[in-house]
Amino acid sequence: MTGKQQMKLGAFLMAGGHHIAAWRHPDAHALAGSDIDHYIALAQMAEAAKFDMIFVEDAAAIRERNPDLAGQAARSTSFEPLSLLAALAVNTSHIGLVATASTSYTEPYGLARTFASLDQLSGGRAGWNLVTSASDLEAENFASSGLRPHAQRYERAQEFADAVLALWDSVEDNAYVLDGAAATYADPRKLHPVDHHGRYFTATGVLDSPRSPQGRPVMVQAGASDVGKDLAARTADVVFAAAQTLADSKAYYDDVKSRLAKFGRQPDDLKIMPGVSPIVAGSESEAREMYETLQALIPDAVGVALLASYLSIGDLSGYDLDGPLPDMPQTQAMQSRQQLIIDTGKRENLSIRESARRFAGARGHWQVFGTPVQIADALQERFEAGAADGFNIMPPLFPTGLQDFIRLVLPELRRRGLFRDAYEGRTLRAHLGLKRSI
Amino acid sequence: MMHLGLSISPFGHHPQAWRGEDADAFNVAQLAAQVSMAQEAGVDFVLFADRLGQRPSDNLSPLATPFEPTTLVAALATLARKIGFVATAATAQHEPYNLARRFASLDTISGGRCGWNLVASDRSDGWDDEYASVVTGLWDSWDDDAFVYDKAQGRFFIADRMHVLNHIGPHFSVRGPLNVNRSPQGRPLVTHVLTPGTWDLAARFADVIVIAPPLPETATRVVTDLRRRIADAGRDGAQVKILATVIPWVDGQADFQRLQHLSSTGTAQPDDGRVVVGSPIDIADALQHWFTTTGIDGFVVEPPVAPKGTEAFIHHVVPQLRRRELFRDGYAGTTLRDHLGLPRPALPVATAKERES
Repeated sequence: MTGKQQMKLGAFLMAGGHHIAAWRHPDAHALAGSDIDHYIALAQMAEAAKFDMIFVEDAAAIRERNPDLAGQAARSTSFEPLSLLAALAVNTSHIGLVATASTSYTEPYGLARTFASLDQLSGGRAGWNLVTSASDLEAENFASSGLRPHAQRYERAQEFADAVLALWDSVEDNAYVLDGAAATYADPRKLHPVDHHGRYFTATGVLDSPRSPQGRPVMVQAGASDVGKDLAARTADVVFAAAQTLADSKAYYDDVKSRLAKFGRQPDDLKIMPGVSPIVAGSESEAREMYETLQALIPDAVGVALLASYLSIGDLSGYDLDGPLPDMPQTQAMQSRQQLIIDTGKRENLSIRESARRFAGARGHWQVFGTPVQIADALQERFEAGAADGFNIMPPLFPTGLQDFIRLVLPELRRRGLFRDAYEGRTLRAHLGLKRSI
Repeated sequence: MMHLGLSISPFGHHPQAWRGEDADAFNVAQLAAQVSMAQEAGVDFVLFADRLGQRPSDNLSPLATPFEPTTLVAALATLARKIGFVATAATAQHEPYNLARRFASLDTISGGRCGWNLVASDRSDGWDDEYASVVTGLWDSWDDDAFVYDKAQGRFFIADRMHVLNHIGPHFSVRGPLNVNRSPQGRPLVTHVLTPGTWDLAARFADVIVIAPPLPETATRVVTDLRRRIADAGRDGAQVKILATVIPWVDGQADFQRLQHLSSTGTAQPDDGRVVVGSPIDIADALQHWFTTTGIDGFVVEPPVAPKGTEAFIHHVVPQLRRRELFRDGYAGTTLRDHLGLPRPALPVATAKERES
């Protein structure tokens, strides 16, 4: 690419919106989470706007144990991400498709094959967001007596990632020769069977799929712990991070980028794209008002329960909601997000109720409110400060939040030369400016 | 009226069908075109087989599609919006929660047109039975009226219309509930291709049982035996369809000779009554004979060459069957269960009782 660097942008899709109470908003389509045409329309909208990718998160369980509280939020059911993105793949032509999948409750051959399949369906636009699954509710769906300790989850994830990468590399380009005369379907010299026998699993053979049009599907991670950051520096193409302040974002960026050299990689080989939830309007006060409208729709109990689940503290309802967060021990799950909540609460002197409301908007991700110019300024500041290579956009409300961002903010970013006018290539690696793996 | 499923593959089901073809056959558009053809003819469902993790080293199979079946079906179901889709997945391949979830998701994507073709493990300790009951139990996690989407009251679903499975068995421990809404057709369909060790599993869990008898007389015996086992399992026989596989070479004498000859260096197709070589009328005659004399409910068609063989069957044999009033014209309903004339499953009695108490 010539000239000025441009931002990478993801559209992080989530049913009716990222805001916990989005589904109650008058503009929200309450059934969005089970409407495939809603998702197809969002994907096509993001593609028309030249986003690098769409992104979907995942949990292999409902997210709240208390049925009454779960019933007051829209997040208990959703599409399974790989089937969702397969459906979107054939209804789009350029945009990247990143699905979250866990290394704790799947095995490498099946996962490698399914993402290879998504990559074939989409012509080289697939990405895998590797997560290790932190919740007890997920563990209870998979015969485990309890959640694996953080270190063991990451040890398994490392082994898993290596096995998946080896499987994706087990078939060379043009291995399927289909030479009828010689009765050679695939050229054995272009097949490199994997023979992995590790601590957590065995993965053998070659992938039952032609090589990806982009070499390998794109690997996305969000690790924020020390071991998570090392895994990302060694194996990830994109990191999706959560950071509230410019300083935190910059520190994280520098930390992860500085780890690349020890794995023989260049800074540009890994793109860091923090999440951001923008609310854009004609004026700052109008944007604040839109935010407050959503905030007013959060039942206290739902917000507090969501906060408790991210803090991995079973229940906060016994505490004074107008008092500060209690001191708590570090748990096995979600260590980094827990720290972010505690730090934000202390820095801004927030009560439990306030923390819960703050957190319910974007689950700890950066929230910005304002005019198109103000939002473009905020994104540009972090981009040019070397705190981000781009952003994963998390509209509080769909479809209007995504429409507003596209209609109001993107033209401003384009005017500044910060975002593309047209796709340069056809694969997700091409959009991200990543080399095709060999 | 008979029911028809069509098994779709890039080159066709003959092991040598890939000879003389090129890798363009891997294009999803080619597979989508076969689906679309089948839908225009009102075929009940298309089925995608799978090699199921028989992990190849140097023998990549010409019979495999380059696509994993469940994700392929998710994609194709948005392109063809009437026909049913059945994807193959083995119990040894997925955790039951993941499998239940993937198929529930497919069923929501397709508006109730998907089925799971269950491939059992080789275990004999009840593992597959427990697996299947966990999957179907998870599919019953939500009542049809659980989701009320009441914005004013802030009530997305009614808590006591959600059912936590809490399964603890010898092989699996799965809490639930499933994090996907109840299927638009009640539950995704379960199909099963009969193998020597799976007769009782099929009788207990399958909505559609696929058999591969070499002769009509064999089919009659298999159907009788299966029907008895279905009754023994306490199920209404009318709620289970039995389909036989058929391999039609429509005006395909030359292709048949050529590919069987090439098979001297590889695998040939079975030499039995399911392989029918002849004109569209010959093939319709054979299907009519099987259908009217054996007690089967229809066929799963395995075109030996594709897309040519698919096209020939759809365009030349299906109209013959329709002329004889053996196959219906178009779709009367919207779900796969509708196409097959199967009722929407009620929530199990135990779940209903839990609601009342």
